[in-house]
Amino acid sequence: MQHPHRCPECDGTIRETDTEHVCADCGLVVTDAPIDHGPEWRTFSDDPDHAPERTGAPLTRSRHDRGLSTEIGYSARLTGRKRRKFARLRRQHKRATIPSKADYNRIYGFTEIRRLIGTFGIGTGLRDQACTLFASAQTAGLLHGRTIEGFAAAGVYATCRTNGVTRTLDEIAAAARATRPELTTAYDAMNRDLGLPTGPIDPREYLPRYADALSLPARIERQARELVAALETDGLVAGRNPSGVAAGCLYTAATETDHAVTQSAAAAVADVTPVTLRATYQNLTDA
Amino acid sequence: MLQEDKRELSESYFSKERLAEHHFRSYNAFLEHGMQDVVTEKERIETDIGDKEDEEPVWVELGDVRAVTPRVREADGSEELLYPQEARLRNITYSAPVFMEMSIVRGGEEEEERVLDTTETKVGRMPIMVGSDKCNISGFSDEELIEIGEDPADPGGYFIINGSERVLMTSEDLAPNKILAEYDSKYGDEIQVAKTFSQRRGYRALVLVERNREGLLEVSFPSVSGSISFVTLVRALGLESDEEIVHRVSEDPEIVKFMLENLEEADVQTQEEAIEDLGQRVASGQGKNYQLKRANYVIDRYLLPHLHEDGVEEEETRINKAYYLCRMAEACFELALGRREADDKDHYANKRLKVSGDLMKDLFRTALNKLARDVKYQLERANMRNRELTVNTVVRSDVLTERLEHPIATGNWVGGRSGVSQLVDRTDFMGVLSHLRRLRSPLSRSQPHFEARDLHATQWGRICPSETPEGPNCGLVKNFAQAMELSQDVDDERDLKQELSSMGVEGIPGISMETTSTTSADD
Repeated sequence: MQHPHRCPECDGTIRETDTEHVCADCGLVVTDAPIDHGPEWRTFSDDPDHAPERTGAPLTRSRHDRGLSTEIGYSARLTGRKRRKFARLRRQHKRATIPSKADYNRIYGFTEIRRLIGTFGIGTGLRDQACTLFASAQTAGLLHGRTIEGFAAAGVYATCRTNGVTRTLDEIAAAARATRPELTTAYDAMNRDLGLPTGPIDPREYLPRYADALSLPARIERQARELVAALETDGLVAGRNPSGVAAGCLYTAATETDHAVTQSAAAAVADVTPVTLRATYQNLTDA
Repeated sequence: MLQEDKRELSESYFSKERLAEHHFRSYNAFLEHGMQDVVTEKERIETDIGDKEDEEPVWVELGDVRAVTPRVREADGSEELLYPQEARLRNITYSAPVFMEMSIVRGGEEEEERVLDTTETKVGRMPIMVGSDKCNISGFSDEELIEIGEDPADPGGYFIINGSERVLMTSEDLAPNKILAEYDSKYGDEIQVAKTFSQRRGYRALVLVERNREGLLEVSFPSVSGSISFVTLVRALGLESDEEIVHRVSEDPEIVKFMLENLEEADVQTQEEAIEDLGQRVASGQGKNYQLKRANYVIDRYLLPHLHEDGVEEEETRINKAYYLCRMAEACFELALGRREADDKDHYANKRLKVSGDLMKDLFRTALNKLARDVKYQLERANMRNRELTVNTVVRSDVLTERLEHPIATGNWVGGRSGVSQLVDRTDFMGVLSHLRRLRSPLSRSQPHFEARDLHATQWGRICPSETPEGPNCGLVKNFAQAMELSQDVDDERDLKQELSSMGVEGIPGISMETTSTTSADD
């Protein structure tokens, strides 16, 4: 919860103590008994009678049922008829947990999103966003006649882009189960109907990754960053492939400091042709 | 010995390499071949594709597995080496990507087998023990360690999960694959029992041979409810004639007398009858063919699994199982006649320690199974939706990662044990040292277990006689003695058996044939 900086009653200043937020002027207690979000301090070593659970896991948008599912467990104590009965219950329960085809598709989409997020090593926050995006696309009826795989991949691509950790379409397409056309169709549909808050991609977003792939030191990456800024002021970035611009700047920065990087290597990392890269290089060296 | 010499010796035992050496050795062995062993055991992932008509079966072959050194994937996509101190400060996990070779194969029924895709793919991340061979700081000098913000005096031997240091508690278990004879009571009468915890590849089965109050022998093992007659079981295993059974148990006239009583009560006389009898026990109410199939399966799968070995035929294994049961029977009778005493469960010869590498192996095995199930599901889904089947698109790397990290983070291990991993005690330096060299008995601390808590004479030189907590854990939590040396399991049992065979031990399955011919040639 966000604490107000001013007292809601008299607009006085707020004094923070260990456990309370108190108005210094009128004495109003604004908040008390805050939740300790730190780790559990109790230790439960091997006492099965006092299981350390207070409650379940938090709700998550990355599961079709938000993580609120019931499972019928196993017990070694059950035998014979009772055990068979629970096996039947389990089977029927499994069938009943997925109410409709739409939910089934959603599960499939979410699994694909989780897999993609896992291979790219992106955090769980973005995973939830991507899943939410996929769900909105599904509710908006965008999936009709298009593929689930495409939307899953497009959800990941869009989330990465809006959060400034862009992956190129080619990278996504290579890891996704969807083909490149499926991905672009899905992304276009999302962008059109859901109004994604995406602007042009900043070439700087690509720099750390490409610098890492070319094993260039941080110094060169920093220099490339400055080069991108220089290009921007000259208005030479707009309308160019940002990936190519990033690679071009890295290449230029590397050659200026006598770091051996070939044009083709830098271009391969960025998934562009050396010609695209050269355009940026020429812009920079002409100026 | 001179005072100085003693001091030097004692100091060398307190050197940095020695303090957590048991953790390093065990974990390095796991990385070196334990992980590969688990994958090789698994061999392949079968799918249900191909169950329908006009469809060729699909499966995944598992190949080499390897872990690199710890690195971190940043949000911007770059990947760099990770050092322990950075993991601690940023609350991330000190783990290394694991790569596995996988190939998807289709065919085998009508068409020829065809490899659809072979790739070495990242299957997940393995938490790496600080200071182990795969740790980024291994081999660093003190200056280098200080340079990267590491404490040169830190002994290592623990993991870093989400920034918290976790040590895996060494656990003290009863030795598997050994016959333990002891007294028990049933309905007020004293009876004699021979027990074996038979263990092979993570599967553990308890086999009991009981001499009941009528003097009859009964055997119980998993998948058979209650117990079955000893004579029936050995006959099912191929030890048929009365004479053979008696002499395999013992030559002692009093034991022979006991055995004859057992044989008189026997329900079956031949191997076929015995297997039928067993079939009725394990699959009652089913068809006869199924009963026989099930009986054979139970014998080969659940009875004394440790006697199995790759490359040894079931037939030979079965007769060995019969001989083993006879040894257990002999132990029961000897106990009944007072020829021997009950085995001491607290004797250190009957204990084995499970160190971090063994625990990680258990964990990796279940994690791999989980991954295999997921790959199977993903393959079936992808196939149903007519997608191209490629290795990279069916492996979800977070499945394995979560299964490996979660138990270390919470201490809830596979098999329902809890408290296996603990937060490293950083109260002071001595606290860390003591914690790394601590071991725990799996016995419940809420029960008395007086014998288990007592200091046993065989703990001399191995376990510290004075360091144990007060209170409920007294005597159950112990600490290594200063000069304790932990011996390791034999890597390759075949070498050992070969050696034994060359020294004149006969009847070792799989080896006896080749060597008897060579020894006779030598003579």
